[in-house]
Amino acid sequence: MITKWQICRIPIKGQHLFTGLLIAFFLLIGHVKAGVLVAPTVVFMDEHKRTGRITVQNPSDEPREVTIRMSFGLPTSDSLGNVFVNLQDSGITDIKAATSWVKPFPRKMLLQPGATQVVRFVARPPKDLVDGEYWARVVVTSQEGKTSLPSASAEGQISTVLNMIMQTAIMLKYRQGDQVAHLKLNGVEASQEDTLVNVIVDLSSTGNASYVGMMHCRLYNADKQEIGYRRFDLAVYHDLKRRVTFPIASYTNSGPYSFELFITPDGRKDIAAEYLIRGNDIEYSVTVP
Amino acid sequence: MRLNVMNRSVKVILFVALAAVLAVPSVVNSQDVATGSATATVLTALAVTSTAALVFGNVYQGVTATIANNNAAAGIYAITGQGSAVLSIFMALPEFVALADGSDKMTIAFSTTDASVDTLGGADPTTMAGASGFQNIDPHNFPAAANIGSGGTTNIYLGGKIYPTIDQTAGAYTGDIVLTVAYTGS
Repeated sequence: MITKWQICRIPIKGQHLFTGLLIAFFLLIGHVKAGVLVAPTVVFMDEHKRTGRITVQNPSDEPREVTIRMSFGLPTSDSLGNVFVNLQDSGITDIKAATSWVKPFPRKMLLQPGATQVVRFVARPPKDLVDGEYWARVVVTSQEGKTSLPSASAEGQISTVLNMIMQTAIMLKYRQGDQVAHLKLNGVEASQEDTLVNVIVDLSSTGNASYVGMMHCRLYNADKQEIGYRRFDLAVYHDLKRRVTFPIASYTNSGPYSFELFITPDGRKDIAAEYLIRGNDIEYSVTVP
Repeated sequence: MRLNVMNRSVKVILFVALAAVLAVPSVVNSQDVATGSATATVLTALAVTSTAALVFGNVYQGVTATIANNNAAAGIYAITGQGSAVLSIFMALPEFVALADGSDKMTIAFSTTDASVDTLGGADPTTMAGASGFQNIDPHNFPAAANIGSGGTTNIYLGGKIYPTIDQTAGAYTGDIVLTVAYTGS
């Protein structure tokens, strides 16, 4: 079921469809002058459809050398609730890693200005793969298609240029058999430090697939008036702590504060509804000590 | 020239259509056949681009050169995608730049205040407002709260410092800076 929050519906008449798409797209990439563009941002494959694809485009005025490689890296967090993705190219021990059995084609290409290339992925999973979801990162690297060495303007001078190389790491998910997405709330730590309220939400995925949804966080004052709201895209693969910070400089004497958490699989705009595995909702509230 | 521009436009249009189809397999049904109406779901792509290299220009033997992250010569990366999406940003920075033949190297360093993240996506590092992101931060350790601005673009500005020695060989020195970007919410 597609909800109004999961899609952006643009009513367009007949031949103006492309024009509408073009405008929307350029609004998103209006500042692009060099580099490559990758779509979509998550690749889904399964036991019935063992191939996937992404599209890479060079919107710049220069040729771009593009390489594709498979890596591994899940959103993880430190004890303070900072979330990051560390890419791991070797020594991968996670049993849910699909890195070794998903291959991209082609792996290297030279994209001329304005050119588009489809990159395909083929999965050859082990025969005894148990039901669940398996993951890899697709790393798209781009740089100038030709080496442009700087030239010293006069003999005896020293000149420098630093090449800017760009890597986009998007998630690839392979699904086998039946999948369940379920999220467990391990705890919420809330504290006030001067003019900030810090909250760390401790979560674990207990299904055999990643939990993907939205995390809504609200802060209320003593009069139950909402004084802060944060919303995040959420993806939990194993364990995750996420920190939420609310500035309260304007409300320093309106405590005690209360924090309200609502996590739901609804509301994702970046993933088509047919690819979402609907997990559970979580609601929780706590008074900030 | 005009023909090239037209070809580029055609290719871009084709790519937009292709991206929409690929990114959105569940294109919504038509709603009004009589008037030829249609609907489409537009999902964002992710683009990481370099709009300006970090350029020190010509420097002199024994004279340290510094580019601040709010200097017009600062390096600029642009990240374009879904507005407000939280990012994991990692930057691999060189410790030296070298001549093409490798015969000499020159030390380069990046301090803990050499980067800024402009979530308003401004194209000019000299005009970034402090409230529009993270100013003067460590390029070795980007904040976990860095995100794509609500407008769909975030820029990273990068400065640095190079140390030519008194006997530095004259010539053109180059090095690589690698920026890796991933969504943390997908």
